[in-house]
Amino acid sequence: MRISRLVGLVAIGACSTGVAAVAATVQFNRDIRPIFSENCFACHGPDASKRMTALRLDIKDGTKVTLSGDRTALVPGDPNASELYARISTGDTARRMPPAAAGHDRLSDPEIELIRLWIEQGAEWQGHWAFQRPQRPEVPADRYPGWPTNPVDSFVLRKLRAERLEPSAPASRDTLIRRVSLDLTGVPPTLAEVDSFLADTSPDSYESVVDRLLSSPGYAERMAIRWLDAARYADTNGYQTDAARDMWRWRDWVIDAFAANKAFDEFTIEQIAGDMLPNPSLSQIVATGFNRNHRGNGEGGIVDAEYAVEYVVDRIDTTATVWLGLTLGCARCHDHKYDPVTQTEYYEIFAYFNNVPEKGKAFKYGNSPPFIKAPTRDQEQRLAELDAQLASLVEQRDTVLDSEARKQVHWADRLADRRSDWVDPMDLALAFPPGATGPDPSERDFDEGGFAEFGDKADFGYYDRFSATAWIRPEDANGAIISKTGHIAGEDNTQSNPGWGFYLADGRLQVNLVNRWLDDCLRVESKDPILLGDWVHVGFTYDGTRLASGLRIYVNGQSVELNVIRDEMNQEIKSKEPLRVGRGLGLDYRGRMRRLLLYERALTAREVEVLAVGRSLDEIARIAPADRNSSEAQKLREAYLNTLGPQVVTRLTARIRNLQRDRQRYLDNVPTVMVMQEMEPSRRTYRLDRGAYDAPAEEVFPGLPSALANHDPENRLGFARWLVSRDNPLTARVTANRFWQMLWGSGIVQTVEDFGAQGEWPTHPDLLDWLAVEFMDSGWDMKALVKTIVMSSAYRQSSRSRPALLERDPQNRLFARGPRLRLPAESVRDLSLAVSGLLVNTVGGRSVMPYQPAGLWSELAGGKDYPVGSGADLYRRSLYTFWKRAVPPPSMILFDSAGREACTVRSVRTNTPLQALNRMNDSSYLEASRALARRTLEESGAGWEQRLRHLFRLVMARYPSSMELEVLTAGFEHHLDRFRNDPQAAMALLGPSLEQTGGGVSDPETAALAIMASLVLNLDETITRE
Amino acid sequence: MSLGNSSNAARTRRHFFGKGAYGLGIAALARLMGEEMPSGGLAEVPHFTPKAKRVVYLFQSGAPSQIDLFDHKPQLERLRGQDLPDSVRQGQRLTAMTASQTTFPIAPSMFRFQRHGESGTWISELLPHTARIADRLCVLNSVHTEAINHDPAVTFFQTGAQLAGRPSIGAWISYGLGSENRDLPGFVVMVSSGTGRNGQPLYDRLWGSGFLPTRYQGVKFRSNGDPVLFLSDPDGIDRNARRRFLDDLGRLNQFKYNDFGDPEILTRVSQYEMAFRMQASVPELTDLSNEPDSAFTLYGPDSRKPGTFAANCLLARRLLERDVRFVQLFHRGWDQHTDLPAQIRKQCADTDQASAALVTDLAQRGLLDDTLVVWGGEFGRTVYSQGKLTSDNYGRDHHPRCFSMWLAGAGIRAGTVVGETDDFSYNITKDPVHVHDLHATVLHMLGIDHEKLTFKYQGRHFRLTDVHGDVVRKAMA
Repeated sequence: MRISRLVGLVAIGACSTGVAAVAATVQFNRDIRPIFSENCFACHGPDASKRMTALRLDIKDGTKVTLSGDRTALVPGDPNASELYARISTGDTARRMPPAAAGHDRLSDPEIELIRLWIEQGAEWQGHWAFQRPQRPEVPADRYPGWPTNPVDSFVLRKLRAERLEPSAPASRDTLIRRVSLDLTGVPPTLAEVDSFLADTSPDSYESVVDRLLSSPGYAERMAIRWLDAARYADTNGYQTDAARDMWRWRDWVIDAFAANKAFDEFTIEQIAGDMLPNPSLSQIVATGFNRNHRGNGEGGIVDAEYAVEYVVDRIDTTATVWLGLTLGCARCHDHKYDPVTQTEYYEIFAYFNNVPEKGKAFKYGNSPPFIKAPTRDQEQRLAELDAQLASLVEQRDTVLDSEARKQVHWADRLADRRSDWVDPMDLALAFPPGATGPDPSERDFDEGGFAEFGDKADFGYYDRFSATAWIRPEDANGAIISKTGHIAGEDNTQSNPGWGFYLADGRLQVNLVNRWLDDCLRVESKDPILLGDWVHVGFTYDGTRLASGLRIYVNGQSVELNVIRDEMNQEIKSKEPLRVGRGLGLDYRGRMRRLLLYERALTAREVEVLAVGRSLDEIARIAPADRNSSEAQKLREAYLNTLGPQVVTRLTARIRNLQRDRQRYLDNVPTVMVMQEMEPSRRTYRLDRGAYDAPAEEVFPGLPSALANHDPENRLGFARWLVSRDNPLTARVTANRFWQMLWGSGIVQTVEDFGAQGEWPTHPDLLDWLAVEFMDSGWDMKALVKTIVMSSAYRQSSRSRPALLERDPQNRLFARGPRLRLPAESVRDLSLAVSGLLVNTVGGRSVMPYQPAGLWSELAGGKDYPVGSGADLYRRSLYTFWKRAVPPPSMILFDSAGREACTVRSVRTNTPLQALNRMNDSSYLEASRALARRTLEESGAGWEQRLRHLFRLVMARYPSSMELEVLTAGFEHHLDRFRNDPQAAMALLGPSLEQTGGGVSDPETAALAIMASLVLNLDETITRE
Repeated sequence: MSLGNSSNAARTRRHFFGKGAYGLGIAALARLMGEEMPSGGLAEVPHFTPKAKRVVYLFQSGAPSQIDLFDHKPQLERLRGQDLPDSVRQGQRLTAMTASQTTFPIAPSMFRFQRHGESGTWISELLPHTARIADRLCVLNSVHTEAINHDPAVTFFQTGAQLAGRPSIGAWISYGLGSENRDLPGFVVMVSSGTGRNGQPLYDRLWGSGFLPTRYQGVKFRSNGDPVLFLSDPDGIDRNARRRFLDDLGRLNQFKYNDFGDPEILTRVSQYEMAFRMQASVPELTDLSNEPDSAFTLYGPDSRKPGTFAANCLLARRLLERDVRFVQLFHRGWDQHTDLPAQIRKQCADTDQASAALVTDLAQRGLLDDTLVVWGGEFGRTVYSQGKLTSDNYGRDHHPRCFSMWLAGAGIRAGTVVGETDDFSYNITKDPVHVHDLHATVLHMLGIDHEKLTFKYQGRHFRLTDVHGDVVRKAMA
């Protein structure tokens, strides 16, 4: 990109002091380092593998080496004695640097001249500016009418003075309130807010507006959006099927944090390592969702280890970009070519983020472990209520039991006299053979094979909990106890052939939950085989987690050790095959079976233990209480509480158990969120050769790059604390710069994502450092930082371009005028909803699905299309719109919103015909136009001019000029004529959804007004904050 | 970035119009600019005289089986059902779908191959129409890739990287060359599904602009609803009303421009004008009613059904006629892990005739001389059967180590085959063509040096070909 480099240089020349003037003040960091970085560092820089000589231009000592012919690269004060200057300026292409042989062009004349001047002036070296700790600079004393309001202005003004430029006049008050409202909340001010500001003549009227905005919910939502971009937040997993996930509880955490003005250091520590804080709160754990927002691959057949590495890489890239403004990712495969980070140091950072108990193969659908339940406040309250009710019922029952204690003994005595037994009937889906729950369950003889079928009973999915237990006396080491599957044993198929089953396999008990036999299933088996030919009680339980760890196998009531054979469940296990006892996988069970019980819940260990009790109730009752073992005693007690005790007890038990079930169901619907966790012991981390997952080299341990820190925090929490420590030169600058970008369109360092050698030199280094130090000194107060910027006179300038200024500083890098910026994508839509009165201001909650053209999902992926929401869901702020990574919402993407695949911090604004089509024709904008027309008719007095003025002002916060009003009126009359001549067209435009408007205004008039509303909504000024 | 770009454009405009621009009629000005300024493109591109002015890329999503289409291995029949020798596999990684398979039985293709044309190119009976244009094709039998699963592999072909985030090839080309057509986007995408199998999903990012400005992303033409999103005016607004609307919009924007002097306002007006032109040009383009019957005969009966691959091929020709720079079709459904014989028959029936027809049609219209046609998927398929091998059925898993594509048209050495594979169509034995090489070649045909088309992002100069890529000279005339 030689061209853009030159353009950049010329631009520096143009908007600083011109090349001739630069002569007085060549600065290594500002003027020389970018040239070296761009042209020389690749071979004379940090990457050891690419250096062919000892000469380095990235560190001071590197320039001091003796070169061949006893020359040195730099002789301060004497360019002509300096080999570096000789080599860059020579006409001899064979000797020239950068080398023509490697395809490099000669440095440009201005670049060579700068280097010459720099050497002449003494070749003074500076460490890279961004790696020096920021110091609070002295605030300049410059003044200008109305300036400074605060130190921001002093720094801006000093630069303007140096450039012999004057600030712009203040923006008009209506412009200002619209600007600051859009900037701080993403939506324009209401007319009441505008009027009150215009009427308020007190000196602090603007400040009170700012304070009001900063404390409004809209502020938190507006700030959250850019943080979500940086955090690559989305509602889908991002690969292949791109199915939904639930991270919105984390998104709401971010909104809450901005609303509460959480200090940025806490904001940081909780998101990076909240799980490692002492006694972390739920909220602090939810915060760590930040680094689980990366995409997760659940495509069949992927290599697990490959993606496990990619997730860690994503975390480092994101964390480094957001907090450090460094492109650390460059050091994944080799030493960084521009910045002082070696490949080994990269993997030392990798080690901090490589200790999550996760797999490379993510779940295709939903959240992948580790994740936690993250109830909303309402849900927490509901759960607490349920718990209180439960506690009270249990207490009631305990009281009754105390008073009944003697009777219970008596009851047991009576029980001894007649044959009886007890089997928990709750959630029992099947008892086999018939009569299996009675005191003398019959045996089924499968000695010669055979099986029993039960149709579509027990059609469990992988989120269902279920269990089965049985007494068996097997004669063969292989056979199916119970199954619902079409699989045939030994068939190496990879087709979807779902089902589940409980088997004997080579004498071991085995549980299978299968979609595809080889690579999409759970399979565990008991470590030890069971004895054939003897009665044994066996069972398994499954907890609906889609994980092998959610399976237990029991032998004689005891959980046994398991071998996990497969642990990669991805797709549903529901089978069309009938439920079968005694057959599955094409195998028949041989032997006897008694009391097979299938439950639609995950039995607890205690419950299985009770089911495994061989003695019936009367048999237990006949044993002296002291001689009963604990499971027998428990069985007796359960029978009493549930069925056989007095009604007052059994009723209470039923209520308790029903409530427990309700609570479980309620909890099942509580959202989860993926979070960070630490493994114990830690996963080992290796430097990966060329960054390849399958090329581990030497082991490395957590640590920070030596250029940035002089200590190595021991874990992720230490890393998080270092990020926001005073020792870290980057975080405060990078963060302040990002806020500046949000409010000015571009940063003081334009490359907000790169503060390294390839990044751009700050236009106002002092201002940036002042903001950074002020930010830290304020206790990392984000609202205070934002307020400081928007309170400045600089921010309050008019955004009018003066022709001379436009020539001189087209990108407004000197801040001699207010920035005039197209709104971000979310505001483009939210503004239309707000001014038309459609916006629904509910904060937080599940993502919603407002209008989008039909077919966008199904035409790319087949299957289900986008399910458009209804009611309030259509009118929520855009940050709540469901974000499908494979097919993002078109009205957002068309307006340059981040793609949410990876961390994005740089804002981009393009201007395309597709945006025009979207604004003119998207049904949501059409609806907003009609609503805006209707609102105008409701609110405004008689007379079309009056109405058009009102409509215009609702959108712009100002009245139209007489010239503008003339165009609007003429346009309105034109469309009115047309609709009067063609009432059908008016009907068509207004659509059936709009109720007939009263007030004596006929349809053609509403329709014409709706067109004018659409016109105003399409104006450049509408979607611009000026 | 885009800011830089738009302000560069702004500077140019100011040089062009001088300060008097403030006073000029803005709609007239915008229209004038639309004519005067090519939309986008870098001054130094093309780097040399191009062979191709445009590209049509027929992407076969899901990965067609090279063994059943182009890479003829008659000797495999002797080995039917035998385990693939370890010496061939060389411990190379498999997808986790077959990695736990206990045997890898060799499955020879059950389809007959014949030599076709003067070139004698081997093509299977599944592709009779393609066979008839054999002498126009350069078949690459030695393409290889690094990815082994669909998402990363398609992403790799589209962007030169397996993980999402980089610009697509069409976006790179639009960024470098700009658009030749002032009424249509420079990069158009169409998708279709086969009748053989439910296809692997596609993603908007496959034609996205990555870190390049959004204006370079592909515009998807759709067969249902508006061909371009939000193209149609709402009911009740006719063409005249829209014109009046835009005139009023232009007037009001001009007041603003006069007052504020922000060149972005001018750009906005010109984009609205282009939108207006697209509202006419796109329906005209997608309206096939004035195509003669002979066209439908050529492309096959499916070409009358909107949304099919055949209809998209016909539309592609119409786009290319209008100098749309980069047209890309995605056809889903080639992922034949099981029941390959039945599925591939349907898949070929869906695509063979129209693919060949497009080449023939372009040739008849004299467009093939400066249009590059690319056909191929994201990887190949294994010689061994996935699942059970029977006399008339087998499946094939993913195979990244060798597969077949073909090129035709501008600058291509027609009637040739590049590259050879071993007896198992498992390893390449001659002239490997990496994805980066293919990218370098496509850019080369357009007059772009793939090492010089770069964009600085996050401190690095990114290229479509990363730090790799060699132009495939053997494929070039």
